[in-house]
Amino acid sequence: MKTFFKALGNVFKKPVTTKYPFEQTYKPDDYRGLIGFEESLCIWCRRCEAVCPPGAIVFSQDMEGKQTYHYNRAVCIYCTECVRACPKEGAIFQTAEPAPCALKEENINNGWNKLFAEAIESRELYAAEKKKKAAEKAAADKAAAVAKKAAEEGNKEG
Amino acid sequence: MAKQYEIPIGAQHISLLEPLHFKFTTENEKIVNTEANVFYVHRGIEQACVTKFKFRQVSFVVGRVCGLCSISHSTAYSQVAEKLLKIDIPIRAKYLRMLVIELDRIHSHLLCLSHVAENSGFEALFMKTMQYREFSMELLEAVCGNRIQYDFAIVGGVSRDLKPEVGQTILKRLKTFMPQLEEIVDIFKTNWTLSLKNKGAGIINKEMVYRLNAVGPFARAAGVPIDVRNETEDLLPWKEVGFEVVTETSGDVYARNLVRLKELYVSIRIIENIINGLPESALITETKAFPEGEATVRLEAPRGELFYYAKGNKTQVLERLKIKAPTFSNVAAMRAAFEGNEYASAPAIIASYDPCLSCTAR
Repeated sequence: MKTFFKALGNVFKKPVTTKYPFEQTYKPDDYRGLIGFEESLCIWCRRCEAVCPPGAIVFSQDMEGKQTYHYNRAVCIYCTECVRACPKEGAIFQTAEPAPCALKEENINNGWNKLFAEAIESRELYAAEKKKKAAEKAAADKAAAVAKKAAEEGNKEG
Repeated sequence: MAKQYEIPIGAQHISLLEPLHFKFTTENEKIVNTEANVFYVHRGIEQACVTKFKFRQVSFVVGRVCGLCSISHSTAYSQVAEKLLKIDIPIRAKYLRMLVIELDRIHSHLLCLSHVAENSGFEALFMKTMQYREFSMELLEAVCGNRIQYDFAIVGGVSRDLKPEVGQTILKRLKTFMPQLEEIVDIFKTNWTLSLKNKGAGIINKEMVYRLNAVGPFARAAGVPIDVRNETEDLLPWKEVGFEVVTETSGDVYARNLVRLKELYVSIRIIENIINGLPESALITETKAFPEGEATVRLEAPRGELFYYAKGNKTQVLERLKIKAPTFSNVAAMRAAFEGNEYASAPAIIASYDPCLSCTAR
């Protein structure tokens, strides 16, 4: 009977639900939202990429060695692991802003997989190029040293 | 002998939260035999953990095993990884882990109770319980930054600190929740309509619990004090924060409801004690070691004992990870508890098991 009267009383009460799109629901100040990136502070150690569990961060590299940061909000799980791993305070940080929905036009899954593979490939290309240049330089140095040594020996004999 | 009919329930059914299939053999509306199939949501998480992910990333992967006991999984994995690394975590991290586990237990138990009410045909109580449950979701969001996937326990400690003002909010919200909890307890105890569906339904006795290896509130409702928090003290200091084991004697749906409701009081007491006596220390133990050897861990999830086994071989990737979820232990007892009941009370009995199939099938 008590329950019945309580139920009847509920008819005159305000609804407990919030009208979501028009009214903001509860959100704490330190909500785990989008990951932000400050390029001027980054030291390009790529530690955030190494620790990221779903692989939502990747760095690509052009032939001059300049790195670019890529981030996918739909792959990200907002675990803050990248922020904890970052050795430079403020280079990568977490905002309280919730991620917007992904649209079909963005091609967020396949596009990201392609971008990820390309970024890794670009780094490998750069590394190979660097190695090649280093090898060339080493060979040139060696040749120069041999020539110098030969010249020195020639001087001695002469 | 009367004619026997076979009635299936699931894998998709309106009274089930997750894909679960029961095939009942009934005789004059009474269930005489049950077959269960629980492996509909296999996702290959164990294999992913030992191939694709590094051992520090696995604590986020296993958090996705189950939405309701996410923190239990990530805590249990973190503990087993810490055993492999042979490190001890700071005392504050232990207390914060217990705090989030207990908050999670409140929201999980309230969800289960609301579904028992719904499946017993009491829709208004379902709405009420769900409404009162919202506060625990908001508190978890304030503590961890997210409503469902907490990512709170990481290898070596916890990822976030508890701000003092958030602690005060928790105490305040728990105070406002107390009269609401009293109201729900009153309805679950005294409502006559609910008792028709709940009292004497799905009975499991003490002897069956031991024989069929049931765990969690399912076993405690039959009077067996099986609780990991009562048995081990080496990883988390449960006794220090005022834990007491809760048991009932009758072993039916009503007793399981009461066990869950009484555990809410225990959880609230534990949370209050933790916030009032939170020790100061670091949050995380840093180490550069790699996991080596074998280790096992048991932890009391909202549904019962959660078991983790891991094996490391001094590399970034684990060699083996085994997860045994509480529902998996309960399947045999679940089948036995149906026998002799009316077919009509089967949905309420299923809800009272609080089955979590995502955990079971991984």
